[in-house]
Amino acid sequence: MTEIIGFRGRYMQVCPSRSPPISELKNPLPHFPKCHRASTVTSLLDHRRSDPLPLGAWNRLVVDASLHSRPSLGMDPPSLMPRLPEMCRFPMLGMPPPELVPRVGRIGGDASVEESTVTEQCGGSKGRRRRRDPPSSGGATEDESSKFVSTCSGNELAEAEAKRLKAIKSTDGNDNIKSEAEASSGICNKLAAQNPQTTEPPKQDYIHVRARRGQATDSHSLSERARREKISERMKILQDLVPGCNKVIGKASVLDEIINYIQALQHQVEFLSMKLEAVNSPMNTTIEVFPSKDFSSQRYNTTSSLAYSSQTREYEQGSGTEWLHMQVGGAFERVT
Amino acid sequence: MDSENSACGNPNPNPTLGPSKLMLAFRFLRALSLVHRTTPASSRTCRGRRIERAAYASMAYSAGTGRGWSRAVLRRLHHRARRRAVAPRRLSTTAGNRAEALRQLVPGGAGMDYCTLLEETADYIKCLSMQVELMQGIVDSSSSYGP
Repeated sequence: MTEIIGFRGRYMQVCPSRSPPISELKNPLPHFPKCHRASTVTSLLDHRRSDPLPLGAWNRLVVDASLHSRPSLGMDPPSLMPRLPEMCRFPMLGMPPPELVPRVGRIGGDASVEESTVTEQCGGSKGRRRRRDPPSSGGATEDESSKFVSTCSGNELAEAEAKRLKAIKSTDGNDNIKSEAEASSGICNKLAAQNPQTTEPPKQDYIHVRARRGQATDSHSLSERARREKISERMKILQDLVPGCNKVIGKASVLDEIINYIQALQHQVEFLSMKLEAVNSPMNTTIEVFPSKDFSSQRYNTTSSLAYSSQTREYEQGSGTEWLHMQVGGAFERVT
Repeated sequence: MDSENSACGNPNPNPTLGPSKLMLAFRFLRALSLVHRTTPASSRTCRGRRIERAAYASMAYSAGTGRGWSRAVLRRLHHRARRRAVAPRRLSTTAGNRAEALRQLVPGGAGMDYCTLLEETADYIKCLSMQVELMQGIVDSSSSYGP
């Protein structure tokens, strides 16, 4: 029991936003550099590592839970105790039973977050157990615990670490773990700015997207979010293309505007083509000149293409052949 | 008309920058003159449709085969040329879902996911507006020379 309370006290120290009632445990440094916090919790977790695995998993889970909890939920000391047996059950199960998930959510954070962390925890714990046993991976476990540390100290890193855990699961090899550790330490430095809303991928083999606070971290929601961002980015491009689309707010109206615009353009093409059929082209003779010209070089002549619209107006004053001369800008014989 | 366009050589080398206006003008004018030469003056409506098809063909060729919509347009044109069917009509937005309406409007939109559809729509709008500008310019310039 005492060590649990001790853990909670240390935990309070780690998360200043929780407004810990235990003031004497407050960290003297108002701005928490990663290394300092890392050291405190590392020592804690080193102590913890002697425990059986489920309890170690529970540590991380609770820390994760309260890290992205709603401020209304407090970490009441008595509420932690009855949660213990439930938490300890999680790593044993392949998947947490659904009735336990809301209880997890009550402790802190979204239920989906907890579920995802637990899922990955359950899967990852097996991997970790595998890695802890061989003596060669002793260094790897060190990195892992330090990784726990770095995630504990930041809200958003919890989700990133969940993703990395999955990466650990998917790739076997200690080298990856080491690179993960140094990536997380790199993130630690970035986190000094306390910017929970950024999504920046560390230099890794995979694309790591840092999830926002309070949002789910499973692969589905992450890819969903990336997809939604791609869609909104393209909607912005479309809004710039379609005139008058900036005034409308809302995806539906923007789409309506786009649809109307495309329909208008297509009707215009139809209308103009009917007009053109009446036009007996005055440039019939000059068109024959074109195939003789080597247009592969002209393709990159952007200046003439930019001047296109102005040239069409000038055409009204000049003769047909002169307009084409101005368009091409090259040297070809004047067709009289 | 299609054979002439296909003999034009390789399509747009810089698809990312968008179709070059000059190539568009060149292709369309050539196709236009061809249509004027080949169709008899009696079949007015037929010529209008052919001009419209020439417009879309030159647009698609200028855009290159890097774009899904241009490939769909060319595919449709080649098939129609063989089957002698009428030019494809655009359906109105009777579809309640706007994405469905967009798919009907943009050629080749039926086989795309939403994300690609938006990208293709952007490119399609760019090319369409360029084509409309071009045709408007031709009409204006020729009308100023009319009797």
